Amino acid sequence: MSKQPVVDISPPQPASGWSAATSSWLPAVILLLVTIVLWEAAVRIFSISSFIVPAPSEIARSLVAQWDTLAQATMITAGEILFGFLVSVMVGIALALVIVRFDWLGRALYPLVVLFQNVPKVALAPIFILWFGYGLAPKIGLILVIAFFPVTLSMLAGMQSVDRSLLALMNSVGASPTQILFRIRVPHSLPSLMAGTKIAATLSVIGAIVGEFAGASDGLGYVIQFASTQLDTALVFAALLLVSVLGIAFYYAAEILERLVVPWAPKFSHA
Amino acid sequence: MQVETIRPAGGRPAHIRHDDLISAQGVSVVMGADQNRQLILRDIDLSVPKGSFVSLIGPSGCGKSTLLKVLAGLVRPSSGSVSIAGLSPGEAARKRMIGLVFQDANLLPWKNAVDNASMLLSIADRSMSRSALRARGQEMLDLVGLGDAAHKRPNELSGGMRQRVAIARALALDPAVLLMDEPFGALDAITRDQMGQSLLEIWQRTGKTIVLVTHSIDEAIHLSRQVHVLGINPGRITQSLDISLPYPRDASVAEVPEFVRLVLQLRGMLRSSHQPGGVS
Repeated sequence: MSKQPVVDISPPQPASGWSAATSSWLPAVILLLVTIVLWEAAVRIFSISSFIVPAPSEIARSLVAQWDTLAQATMITAGEILFGFLVSVMVGIALALVIVRFDWLGRALYPLVVLFQNVPKVALAPIFILWFGYGLAPKIGLILVIAFFPVTLSMLAGMQSVDRSLLALMNSVGASPTQILFRIRVPHSLPSLMAGTKIAATLSVIGAIVGEFAGASDGLGYVIQFASTQLDTALVFAALLLVSVLGIAFYYAAEILERLVVPWAPKFSHA
Repeated sequence: MQVETIRPAGGRPAHIRHDDLISAQGVSVVMGADQNRQLILRDIDLSVPKGSFVSLIGPSGCGKSTLLKVLAGLVRPSSGSVSIAGLSPGEAARKRMIGLVFQDANLLPWKNAVDNASMLLSIADRSMSRSALRARGQEMLDLVGLGDAAHKRPNELSGGMRQRVAIARALALDPAVLLMDEPFGALDAITRDQMGQSLLEIWQRTGKTIVLVTHSIDEAIHLSRQVHVLGINPGRITQSLDISLPYPRDASVAEVPEFVRLVLQLRGMLRSSHQPGGVS
């Protein structure tokens, strides 16, 4: 047979580098700056009291003045989020594997998992404080119950969407259920799992803050609560800003992880 | 075999030849239960000589894919028997005698072409080393004309190239039979013709027995030595047609008057196969 000329038919890469990055980010940056300027102007023009709505400049001042406290609180909260997130992902994956591999157990577990998902988990925070005290444990517990579900669900969806004829191929060479699970279903589920992991990263931030609200002596959630009782609204906003930065950081960390784990997965562009 | 014969509808072959690699006798498949019971295949007799190239053609829903799955051991017939070189399809599959190719290449997107080509072999033969598997995969890619694309991932390959990898994956098992279910059905007409020609060359080089399910009249006549026409409701072999065109055949075979005559004849058979079959 004549050799087929191998033609590179990979899709054209999107334009990369700084110019492309700035042009895609520029609208968002401009809008943000305009909002900050309008906010500052509105607070000054209408002389709004700083404990109702602090001006951006005042938030920045508070951020600098209280930097040591805030930095320490950020580290504590970041540690809780990271630890809680990792536990959630591991438990979420383990649960999905058990549900898929052991049919009977799966049929017992899955409805309960869905049922549990409908419990308002924020309401569990006081109970976790009661059980586990004021330390790290109740925060991890709360993050876990909030964040494991999207991981389990997305991995299950990924594992169950394997093409039937691929399974037929595997069966035709006598593949065992375990082989099909680890050589086909698990890798096939990774793109979907990574999507669930990104959701879990965001939920982990919420879990940590709620955990700290319910009872803590440190962390950004504690700072927010403490500052609001002192009517130090500028500090509340400064802490909120750092919570948002943490959220974004964890989200993008999950996205980088996704690119490393599933470089072959189809991507959609944000542009 | 060189003489064209038309078997009357429902007729059984007078005898099963000794050189038959595949033989199915009285195979019926019923699916569903109670009210939904449906007779998918009725009383199929089929014999495929070793080294032959046989096509199954018929209207949608005639059960030709189900018949292929029965031969592959993926669907158990409700009655009748199937033997592949004297073994049941299940035993034959365990002995790596069956290579399967479907309409969708079903490659693993996280593996490159060479690892995809050796993927089924790695499961069928756990004793093979990684490098031996790679070598076998590469050998098969060379055979299907994709030797240069060994390190490309499926998303870097065109539809035709992906299907070539799927064929390489089946051939890597060194099966006695290649069972193909509309393998080129999703490809454009030009690629489809090229793939058919490639398949003929692979067949002649490897001497595999091939059973091809297709709904293309031209493809069936161009490639196969014998075509079985399946009728609908229930699925059954209505007629068979020997293709006496000499091999090697290339694309120019379509210009031979005999080819045109066979196309017309097969088209007529297909038309009559659309009529639901009573007792015949």
